[in-house]
Amino acid sequence: MQIIDCAHTPVKDIISTARKVLSSGGLVIFPTETTYGAGVDATNPVAIEKLLAYKSRREGKPLSIAVTDKEMARTYVEINDQADQIISQFLPGPVTVVCKDKGVVSPGVASEFGTLGLRIPDYQLILDIVAAYGKPMTATSANASGKKRPYTVQDILDNLSNTQKEKIDLILDAGKLPHNPPSTVIDTTLETPITLRQGEAAFNAEMTQKAITQSEQETMDLAGKIALQHWNDIAKTGLIIALDGPLGVGKTIFTKGIAKFLGITETITSPTYAYVEEYDYTRHQTSGRLYHADIWKVASAEEASRLGIDEMLGPNSLLLVEWFDVAKDYILSVAEDKKVPVVHIQLQQDGTKRILHISDIETTSYEN
Amino acid sequence: MKTKTRILAIDTSCDDTSASVVEGRVVLSNVIASQTELHKPYGGVFPTVAKQAHKENINRVIELALKRAQTKPQQLAAIAVTQGPGLAPALEVGIRAAEAFAQEHSLPIIPVNHIEGHALSNLALPKTQLSKKHAQPKFPALAIIVSGGHTQFISIPSIGKYEIVGTTLDDAAGECLDKIGRMLHLGYPAGPVIEEFAKQGNPKAIEFPLPMTSSGDYNMSFSGLKTFARNTLEEITKEKALNKQQIYDFCASAQYSVFRHIMYKLSKLIEKEKYAEIWLGGGVASNTTLRRMIRETIKPDGLQLKVPYTRRLNQDNGAMIGIVASYKLESANENNGTKKIDRKPRWKIETK
Repeated sequence: MQIIDCAHTPVKDIISTARKVLSSGGLVIFPTETTYGAGVDATNPVAIEKLLAYKSRREGKPLSIAVTDKEMARTYVEINDQADQIISQFLPGPVTVVCKDKGVVSPGVASEFGTLGLRIPDYQLILDIVAAYGKPMTATSANASGKKRPYTVQDILDNLSNTQKEKIDLILDAGKLPHNPPSTVIDTTLETPITLRQGEAAFNAEMTQKAITQSEQETMDLAGKIALQHWNDIAKTGLIIALDGPLGVGKTIFTKGIAKFLGITETITSPTYAYVEEYDYTRHQTSGRLYHADIWKVASAEEASRLGIDEMLGPNSLLLVEWFDVAKDYILSVAEDKKVPVVHIQLQQDGTKRILHISDIETTSYEN
Repeated sequence: MKTKTRILAIDTSCDDTSASVVEGRVVLSNVIASQTELHKPYGGVFPTVAKQAHKENINRVIELALKRAQTKPQQLAAIAVTQGPGLAPALEVGIRAAEAFAQEHSLPIIPVNHIEGHALSNLALPKTQLSKKHAQPKFPALAIIVSGGHTQFISIPSIGKYEIVGTTLDDAAGECLDKIGRMLHLGYPAGPVIEEFAKQGNPKAIEFPLPMTSSGDYNMSFSGLKTFARNTLEEITKEKALNKQQIYDFCASAQYSVFRHIMYKLSKLIEKEKYAEIWLGGGVASNTTLRRMIRETIKPDGLQLKVPYTRRLNQDNGAMIGIVASYKLESANENNGTKKIDRKPRWKIETK
């Protein structure tokens, strides 16, 4: 194990030593703006095994990689709009951006869900080392799993077994680091819609009715009227009302209107957390159930299928789906199987007004 | 021989699969298989829709809970399981597993309300407290539940008696923060990221509205804050994207507005009703700013805030279900042999 005192060694020498160690599959302990990190060449499988043995008890926790900039990152992960924005805003800095892995780094670096954390440390020496090396270095904290966060080299060494110590090839000692917290992790891989501004309605304008409401009460009343128009459908086959619109536009208000129409007295609260809330109703001697689903957290049609949406459909049932667009094809195919009509409502806000674009989707002619 | 009091408790109400062994109020093990225990990708919640994941995890979670508590099924007095509220197919998995386990080992099943679990989570004690004398809670207590799925004030005249005195009428507080974070492109769930970023921001930078000040009750509404956040963001970002400090300020201001709304209602409530203790539970209960704001709000009344001894008890977990079951086991007639139970996805905690 070699220890370099960073304060008294020319940067050029530190970089060349670190480079040599990395290219021979070695393990480097290095300073960052958060804690000391443990780095190996993220593309070298043998080096990764060494690192995992050093960290011990990872239990499947993924590692992050340090790169120099967004361009370098693109070789290893997919950078979607959200990741792009966060990288521009926060990196270099103490933020780990989780992206979809491209499979370039060695096995064991990415998570079992195919995601990989990205760091651009706000620490010039490390950026210089990675730039000189030309490949990403792992950027996990230098403590063994479950041990104290390392702000000094002594913090690290005190908590290591001899076998672990033997795995370290080089320590870049920059003295005591300021007690900054570990990086904040932001997962950008969910495809959840993050609509702030929704474009013009993507639905066929000829089939679409447009309604404008001026208050929450009007939106609720309109919801009731739409349910009434489809009362026969609800009784005969069940009905799906599909709701789209940006966060905070009033989708839950619309649902409260439906519930009121059905004579449900319970408070309708957001179903986001539990995915689906169920309410029994009785209206004019007809009893049935309102399912209020929110698939905002659902990332794919496959996940939506696990919610058991098909089991919810049937005579006297009304399924109201918020963020329908997330699993549109899946829901429409279920509706087609069950011969359940779908009313699509897209909500927009214009000042204090709400604009509702209402269209019936003919599922029987829906091709997919 | 001493009567058996050890309980295996299961919670599968939503995303996490959890099992725990408790003895009275002492937690012997508390295994939570979300990403924390079995996967841990960056400590976040991976939104695997529950049912399938629960099925895959439930048996090994139960085994691990027993193993960590060094407990054999013969040592158990009962098995407890969350009956609701929660996602119906997810609840189903836990209940079926509990029934099978109860059948196999001839144990009674104790059905538990998930919210009651959050409410009593502060009463849990660490393993080191086993076979020691414990201070008893004082009543009436007020439980404040703040999580991604719930925001409620619950009056507790005694264990087993509950009255919801205030609740959110739309989104939960944690959900509101998650969604505002999402608008800021901070991933999902963004609540913990907002908490981190808020530490570096100015909570007064953007003045959010204070909702429902004239409603005359203790109910809350967070959807208006969400809408305000969206409109404000649209306005600010018309010209250019937010810089780092503006994001920190937005996080701090949004978080402050959500907590301020809860504090406003809490202060009105404790002005009117007399409580001996204030309890805090639910995922957002881990937020240190929330804890500090509650302490400041209740201090003039000489009240102290009680929080769970570990943050693991704030998230959805089996141990809190076990604590509730322990109290139920004490009141004898709950223990009347194995039975089949049905899920109650919308089960209210109220006993009135």
